[in-house]
Amino acid sequence: MATATEGQLPPLSGLLASSSRRTAAIFASSSVPALSDELSSRAKLAVKISSEYEAVRELPIGLRQQQGPQAPRPPKAIEGPPQETTRLIEAAAGSTAPQAALTLAPTSKLQTQTPLHRALSVRKQQREIKPDYHPQWRLSRVISGHLGWVRSVAVEPGNKWFATGAGDRVIKIWDLASGELKISLTGHISTVRGLAVSPRHPYLFSCGEDKMVKCWDLEANKVIRHYHGHLSGIYALALHPTLDLLVTSGRDASARLWDMRTKAQIHVLSGHTATVGALLTAPVDPQVITGSMDSTVKLWDITAGKAMMTLTHHKKSVRALAMSPSEFSFVSGSAGGNNIKKFKLPGGELVYTCKGHEAIINAMSVNADGVQFSGGDNGSLTFWDYKTGLPFQHMDDIPQPGSLDAEAGVFCSTFDMTGTRLITGGADKTIKIYAERTQ
Amino acid sequence: MATALASLLPKPLYSVAVEEEEEVEVQQPTLALAPRAVIPPYGQRSGWRPTKADDFGDGGAYPECHIAQYPNEMGRKRTAAGNTLALQVDAEGNVRYDLIATQGHREGVKVQSQFKDLVPLSQRTDLSETQRQMELPTDDEIAATAERTKLALEKLVNGKIKAAQPKHVPDAGGKSQFIRYTPVQQSGNGLKQRIIKMSEVVEDPLEPPRFKHKKVPRGPPSPPPPVLRSPPRKATAEEQKAWMIPPSISNWKNNKGFTIPLDKRLAADGRGLQDIHINDNFAKLSEALYVADRHAREEVRQRALMQQKLAQKEKESKEENLRMLAQRARQDRVAPSGSRAESAVGESSGGAGRAGLGLADYGSDESEEESERDEEEEEDEAGAKLRDEMRREKRQQRERELRMNNMGTEQRAKMLAREQNRDISEKIALGLAKPSASKESMLDQRLFNRDALPSSFADEDAYNLYDRPLFHGSSAAAAIYQRGNLGAGNDESFGGGTEEGIGEALANDRFGLGAPKNGFQGAGDQELREGPVQFEKDTGDVFGVDQFLESATRGTKRGIDEEGGDSRKRRQLNRADDREE
Repeated sequence: MATATEGQLPPLSGLLASSSRRTAAIFASSSVPALSDELSSRAKLAVKISSEYEAVRELPIGLRQQQGPQAPRPPKAIEGPPQETTRLIEAAAGSTAPQAALTLAPTSKLQTQTPLHRALSVRKQQREIKPDYHPQWRLSRVISGHLGWVRSVAVEPGNKWFATGAGDRVIKIWDLASGELKISLTGHISTVRGLAVSPRHPYLFSCGEDKMVKCWDLEANKVIRHYHGHLSGIYALALHPTLDLLVTSGRDASARLWDMRTKAQIHVLSGHTATVGALLTAPVDPQVITGSMDSTVKLWDITAGKAMMTLTHHKKSVRALAMSPSEFSFVSGSAGGNNIKKFKLPGGELVYTCKGHEAIINAMSVNADGVQFSGGDNGSLTFWDYKTGLPFQHMDDIPQPGSLDAEAGVFCSTFDMTGTRLITGGADKTIKIYAERTQ
Repeated sequence: MATALASLLPKPLYSVAVEEEEEVEVQQPTLALAPRAVIPPYGQRSGWRPTKADDFGDGGAYPECHIAQYPNEMGRKRTAAGNTLALQVDAEGNVRYDLIATQGHREGVKVQSQFKDLVPLSQRTDLSETQRQMELPTDDEIAATAERTKLALEKLVNGKIKAAQPKHVPDAGGKSQFIRYTPVQQSGNGLKQRIIKMSEVVEDPLEPPRFKHKKVPRGPPSPPPPVLRSPPRKATAEEQKAWMIPPSISNWKNNKGFTIPLDKRLAADGRGLQDIHINDNFAKLSEALYVADRHAREEVRQRALMQQKLAQKEKESKEENLRMLAQRARQDRVAPSGSRAESAVGESSGGAGRAGLGLADYGSDESEEESERDEEEEEDEAGAKLRDEMRREKRQQRERELRMNNMGTEQRAKMLAREQNRDISEKIALGLAKPSASKESMLDQRLFNRDALPSSFADEDAYNLYDRPLFHGSSAAAAIYQRGNLGAGNDESFGGGTEEGIGEALANDRFGLGAPKNGFQGAGDQELREGPVQFEKDTGDVFGVDQFLESATRGTKRGIDEEGGDSRKRRQLNRADDREE
């Protein structure tokens, strides 16, 4: 049927030809080819463009500054006008305005701007700090010997040995070079949560969840003093760097300041509303810094026994604090993302927030080379550049054979006195020593 | 006025004019924004309300203003200090809204309350480079701080440990001082000068404190710091689901009596939460053990089979040998009558051939010595029968031995007992004798269906613990009480016949009591008892009543009839005679 009708229709070519011929005959008098006159059309366009867009030929100054020094993007070809028209527009613009549309004013103009502009430009100027190079770290030694979670570690000032305290209620002292057990100290009746070796006395201080703070004489390996007063388990312990003072803090939401010799409790630093799990001491004010499970960090004035400042930047409980040996600042770590924050001392201004370690941070350490370590509850380890707060290495703790997957967790960490080795204690009951990869 | 205000106000932040270029940060003091009071002149004070102290200048109240006025704060009720803060602006013209956060803190406490405190240090514009530096404290600073802190803390420590210090112990009143006292007012008395001795009252160190120690209530806590973090976001549905802990459903308590579906109960006990994973090696081990066991069993079976076959073969060869020997013997017996040479030949040749030859011989001699042969044949046959008998006996014995080897403990014990004539009551020791295990024998039936124990049960002092024998039934009794055949021919029955053996047997003899030589009358006739003594009802004429009646009816005399009248005397005499014989 269709073929039949097609066959019946006359061919189109003839019709078209006749139609065009007729059109030509009708409009022969008017000059259609005027369209192709390029000069006149360009002039027309130029006039139109200048009348319509002259006002916005240059950006307002504020916008221009925001835009920055880079060249403006070429306008996109719009589908509507035909190719020829765009070409014409470009040509017209080029012919009428020598400088490109929407370009920046010369930079010399910037000097003569209002303070607002200057403030804006200052804000724009990023203070880019380049991170330092740090070699990668690798696991160099695993020491197994504890029968419980290793909850605390401390290195002796002479860098010969280090002590660890664990959930098996034992403090063990290990040779740092060989990793051999030197001695086991028993006396606590619950997990040992804090250890410190005095640089000025032959004393080792330990505290535990049994509410006891003990002072061990390392010449006789005996307990010579108890500091009695905590109402609940003690989670952290620190020694004052210059004075014979001892600070402990724990589950009774307080930090206590003890006189080392007389065993007298000088102050109860109360103000936190939850467990105080992390402690720092500094030689100048603020001499004690505490991090608590109420997600605040407090800076204390120990002469008055009162808080100088409360930092409320963290969203979750602060479990780890670390002070840099090379600059007067500290970092604090809590759970969740964006959880590591560095604060300047003595003012407590926020320096930066580290991004990239999504875990409950249990342990933090900083060495003199500017390497910052954070160990998570799930066994994730991250090494950061302390200056910029950028991570340079992510690792995962490998639990020792025979332990569960869930037992990959870091509870405590410290750099040795040289800062070249990192000692961590974990949930797999081992002590792990990390060292820089040397090439 | 306006100019004064302008001079007071800080400079506008964004001025259109670009005249001031130098950027000098002038630390301007924060100023109150309150304007100075304007007092309208007298006569124009209608509607004006003098409320502040400034409105009064130095003077008193305005009588034309009909409101309560307190010039110089006179007459105003003293109320608690207001906690309204004056509005303040900082050097840059920003209103200091954070004053409310800093209010009420001690001197020297810094409170971070502004947005800038959240900005990282490198991006803060209000700090100079030096303020960004984080230099370690110098030694001087450290030393100064240490000294200051030490002094402050020493004071505290000394206060705390005062009680423990020995110098606190009061001395025993040795201290006394003398004061010369000259009164100013000289009265008429003769006393002009006095010497006064002053000594401290001796305190008992053990005296309880004279004043009650009052606990000072704790001061108000420091105001809460502004929180510089975003509020915790709401938990999403998934998170809520993840944190949902099902209410605990006890398997033991349900006080309200709710109906708890079984699946909820199972979910609640948490046992299904972890699937038990058993190491594959357990399965492997057990399979390997099974395989090894089967293998070993198979091996043992094969070996036993092999040994059996070997034994059979050996036995066959032995039998063959025996048969050959017998054959030869028969031949030998035949040979003296026949040719010995043939027998010798037969000996040298194989057994089969020899048998054939022997038979041939046998056949050849048949005609000559028939009678003799008949005799010999008979003899032979008898001998063969005997041998067959012996062989059968041997075989039976062997079979019995084999069976005994394969017997179980029970059987063997029985066997042993039977063989060795041991007391069968050993069965009890071996646990072979089972108490009759009927249900009613286990329980005292008299206890059933009774309200109280009847008087027939037992007296307290009666020594009958059991109402029923432990071993019931004839078979069990027979098994236990059989005393073996103590008859003659049993070597072991009397200690093997030796003297000490007999002595031992006598000593050990528990109930046989040495088997008296002369038993009771008629006991010898009786067959050996198997089992306990059994009585039977005597249906016969025990006392001879019937006989007596019969004889009475016949009318015979007692003395005459000898055989009917059972004279006991005579019988006894007879018996005595017999014994003497």
